[in-house]
Amino acid sequence: MATGTAVEVVMPQMGVSVSEGTITKWSKQVGDQVEADETLLEISTDKVDTEVPSPASGVVSEILVQEGQTVEVGTVLARIGGEAGAAAPAAEPAPAPAPEPATQEAADESEAAAAEVAEPPAQPAEPVVPSENGKSFVSPVVARIASEHGIDPSQVPGTGAGGRVTKKDIQAFIEAGPPASMKASENVAAAAPPAAPQPTLASTPSQEPQAPGEGETLEPMSAMRRGIADHMRRSLDTSAHVTSAIEVDMSKVVAIRAKLKKEYESAYGVNPTYLAFIARATVETLRDYPWVNGELRGDQIVTKNFVNLGFAVELADGKGLIVPVVRNAETLNLLGMAKAIVDIAKRARDKQLTPDDVSGGSFTITNPGGYGTFHGTPVISQPQAGILGTYAIVKRPWVITDENGADAIAIRSIMNLTLTYDHRLVDGALAGRFLRDLRQRLQTWGESDY
Amino acid sequence: MSIARVAEPSGSLQEVKEWGLDREDLLQIYRNMLITRGVEERGHILYRQGKIPGSFYTGRGNEASSVGVAMAMGTDDVGTPLHRDMGVHITRGVEPWRILAQYMGRADGPTHGKDGNVHMADMNLGLVAMVSHLPAMLPVAVGCALAFRIREERRVAVAWSGEGAMARGDAHEGMNFAGVRQLPVVFICDNNQWAYSTPTHLEYAVEHLADRAAAYGFEGVVVDGTDVLAVYREAKRAIEKAREGGGPTLIENQTLRMEGHAVHDDAFYVPKELFERWAERDPIERYRTWLLDNADLTDEEEDEITGYVKKLLNDSLQRADESPQPDPSTLLDGVYATPEDLDTPHHK
Amino acid sequence: MSEKTYLQAISDGLREEMRRDKRVFVLGEDVGVYGGAFKVTLGFQEEFGPWRVLDMPLSETAIMGGATGAAMMGLRPVAEMQFADFVSCAWDHLVTVAAKQRWRAGTPVPIVLRLPSGGGFSGGPFHSQNPESSFAHIPGLKCVCPATPEDAKGLITAAIEDPNPVLFFEHKHLYRRIKGEVPDERYVTPIGKARIHAEGEDVTVITWGAMVYTAEEAAKAVDASVEIVDLRTIMPWDKQAVLDSARKTSKVLVLHEDTRTGGFGGEIAATIAEEAFEDLDAPVRRLAAPDCPVPFSPVLEKAYIPQVDDVVRALKELIEY
Repeated sequence: MATGTAVEVVMPQMGVSVSEGTITKWSKQVGDQVEADETLLEISTDKVDTEVPSPASGVVSEILVQEGQTVEVGTVLARIGGEAGAAAPAAEPAPAPAPEPATQEAADESEAAAAEVAEPPAQPAEPVVPSENGKSFVSPVVARIASEHGIDPSQVPGTGAGGRVTKKDIQAFIEAGPPASMKASENVAAAAPPAAPQPTLASTPSQEPQAPGEGETLEPMSAMRRGIADHMRRSLDTSAHVTSAIEVDMSKVVAIRAKLKKEYESAYGVNPTYLAFIARATVETLRDYPWVNGELRGDQIVTKNFVNLGFAVELADGKGLIVPVVRNAETLNLLGMAKAIVDIAKRARDKQLTPDDVSGGSFTITNPGGYGTFHGTPVISQPQAGILGTYAIVKRPWVITDENGADAIAIRSIMNLTLTYDHRLVDGALAGRFLRDLRQRLQTWGESDY
Repeated sequence: MSIARVAEPSGSLQEVKEWGLDREDLLQIYRNMLITRGVEERGHILYRQGKIPGSFYTGRGNEASSVGVAMAMGTDDVGTPLHRDMGVHITRGVEPWRILAQYMGRADGPTHGKDGNVHMADMNLGLVAMVSHLPAMLPVAVGCALAFRIREERRVAVAWSGEGAMARGDAHEGMNFAGVRQLPVVFICDNNQWAYSTPTHLEYAVEHLADRAAAYGFEGVVVDGTDVLAVYREAKRAIEKAREGGGPTLIENQTLRMEGHAVHDDAFYVPKELFERWAERDPIERYRTWLLDNADLTDEEEDEITGYVKKLLNDSLQRADESPQPDPSTLLDGVYATPEDLDTPHHK
Repeated sequence: MSEKTYLQAISDGLREEMRRDKRVFVLGEDVGVYGGAFKVTLGFQEEFGPWRVLDMPLSETAIMGGATGAAMMGLRPVAEMQFADFVSCAWDHLVTVAAKQRWRAGTPVPIVLRLPSGGGFSGGPFHSQNPESSFAHIPGLKCVCPATPEDAKGLITAAIEDPNPVLFFEHKHLYRRIKGEVPDERYVTPIGKARIHAEGEDVTVITWGAMVYTAEEAAKAVDASVEIVDLRTIMPWDKQAVLDSARKTSKVLVLHEDTRTGGFGGEIAATIAEEAFEDLDAPVRRLAAPDCPVPFSPVLEKAYIPQVDDVVRALKELIEY
């Protein structure tokens, strides 16, 4: 090769997994004449020792790597011909006379022209098509965050493609606090999590928020809070709410529960709560009072051969309420009921409820007694006809009559129960009988009743 | 001309005793052949009653070959029988009611409804469940033999195939490797002359498939597969040879598949005369004649055996029919093994 | 700890198991005297003898079928395909017999199948493939694809311990190029657990094998905080780690060296869409080899295997979305 351009000798790749090689011997020195394919040097790799034939005829103009040195595959070891130090620009690789593997790796290593040739036809991402105003597309995560914080994404400055609001944009917006002009959008609530009681947008209060007065702070309503507000208002507007109360001697239940508690906890890992007892007794009693478990649907009275029992559960942050439903509660015994209540309460607090878990209830129990209250007038969960309130069990002096008809005062565990019912469907006498029967079940709970 | 050795027919009672079979063994062979055919006949009836889903295969005509080989195996030996080898399952002790339950896809079949027909095996009885890709079982059996060789155990693996399966590469790779390493494996080729509808001259060009053994460096033997005692004798020789480190043997048992490939197939392509000719050599009838002529089989003994088999099959049928359908909730069970699954005698 | 190549780590892990457990043996083409085409089993035959390091005939079917039979008889075969590409010859035993035997017949088949895979060195269409998705699709098989020397040793140990057929995809391009600290003692890296290769906030790359390093290089070239999830095993795969990262960054690139259509990335992308939809701030993107065989020419191969620049481009698109 009588060109003025030097030919590079590179460390060949002696096997697909070999990444480096060691020069064991140079057979030629700088200034020596070498013929193409004549042995120029010897190398050693992890897999094999071999001689490297010269890629060209000419004078060895440079030796760049000395004997004993280990270098990566593709490293230039020497140059043949040309003027010392004036190697061919990498952009014009000599037509590979070197052993094949060497040129392969050399090409690999080279960041020059070849790479550009190799550039795959750029596969452009599907362009983000901005809609008319360039920012109306809301990504799933932005929609979710917007709904959780009651924000209208169209109010958020977007920095994404086509002015799209990115997750970072909306997070920054929330951190900065809402501007005064911010208004809760009706669109937002549409994306509310299914766990919230169905919000009816038409009645959502949509006053312009005003600037906070002295000592006040404003906080946007969450979608859930708006849903609750709407539902409560709608229920009171729909049903004729009346509440009746009754006192129940829970002594037997207290005694049986104390007995069962250990067994249930060790055998089934579940605590037989009073609520489970009451729920069991309620389901049994509802059998005899289908209207209490029923609903008004237009001009029709609907009764059901199942009891889908809702339980009002307070969310962990104290900022919301949800009513998950135990389906077909009539099929559950005491243990099953206790387990079902634990399960839905846990899933409610962990936000793991599905839409099916919070719909389709036929009757509801609410239990504000945990805080010591002894009476209340809960609001019916629409479209049901009644809601049972359970209250604190307290020890009270209680008049009992012994078998001889003599009265005495004893200390008994007493609980109040309320039934709030829709008087459009359920009359006061019916509600009274329902409460009486429920009380009877609880007061006469036997050890073998489940 | 044949390269493989052509085995002589079965001999006298005295000879048979020398091979290690006592009178009870001889009656056991007869019993097992009758049960084998009986199970398949009952299965066929169940199939036509709509109680067996899918397809249904029988091994009619192959009873001597399957029972004869299985009788020659040792307790600790293993095998990979195929769909014409019901006699192996019966001889190794698989209870007929479980086989009928398997046919019907019930929960008590060895595969609990997950697989059908003869795709089953009880590993505790030294049997490996076959797959539909029949010759695939040959390298598997060779692998079993490899394990025995590595552990230096005196155990033998028996690999079954048909003449059709011998055309696949698996057969070659398995036999070649077994020959190279002289592994303790015996290859049984049930040459029943028809691979579905394909006759032997379209499957291979050598005179006998057993001739191929020479190319793999071991002995080939051609045996009359309707002669249960000849099959037993050759299998016993080969198995004991393998046990002593003498390497593999390929035994070609010549039979005729007396029914279609499966119940849907009337085998119209098999010449009628061929069926008639081979019907005269029915392996069970042939063995019964031998027992009468050579072993003084009495009427009482025969009645006792046929009565036993009949009752066994009737009881089995009833028990299998009582087996529940599999529970759909078990569908995903066992897709992956757990470490506890390895807690078996095989995996110690 | 000592610094080891990826190849040495596999070799060490395998040797240690063979020393611990007499049931473990190696079979494959040229694994004995020659020490394996890549020298993973170099010196094994001297140490363990010709019946525990078996030079097999050129018979992938016999290798895989033999391993299956031996495993059923209680041994722990570690079979080698000289190149992952050759597993096509062993498909039947792997997929028809080994994968289904536990489920249908109750017989566990504890096999490790070592599969030197991956391209990047002009191996051409038959020495460069990444066939993991084909096997991830087969119920009963497990697929492991380590990227680091530490994981390579921990996962080969886990694979040998596992009672199932485990396909161990060892990436040839990493064999001697990647070195890392490897604990000297025996340890098990759990199958089915991903590893966070780099923590980040803005965008996630889900990948495995050699692409971990391509992603790492690309991450340096973009002005964003990139989280790199090294899946390590793709069957079973660590869905939770993937979803956690997707929920964190809301933007995901799935990157693999295997071809795009039917590649395992599709399963990952679909799962994210199903289970983390409300956390996404951009469409899940896939970057994979195009749907053609692996080419021989270095120029073509570079166009085929996802390169750092390709990953940078995809990341930028996601970041700017």
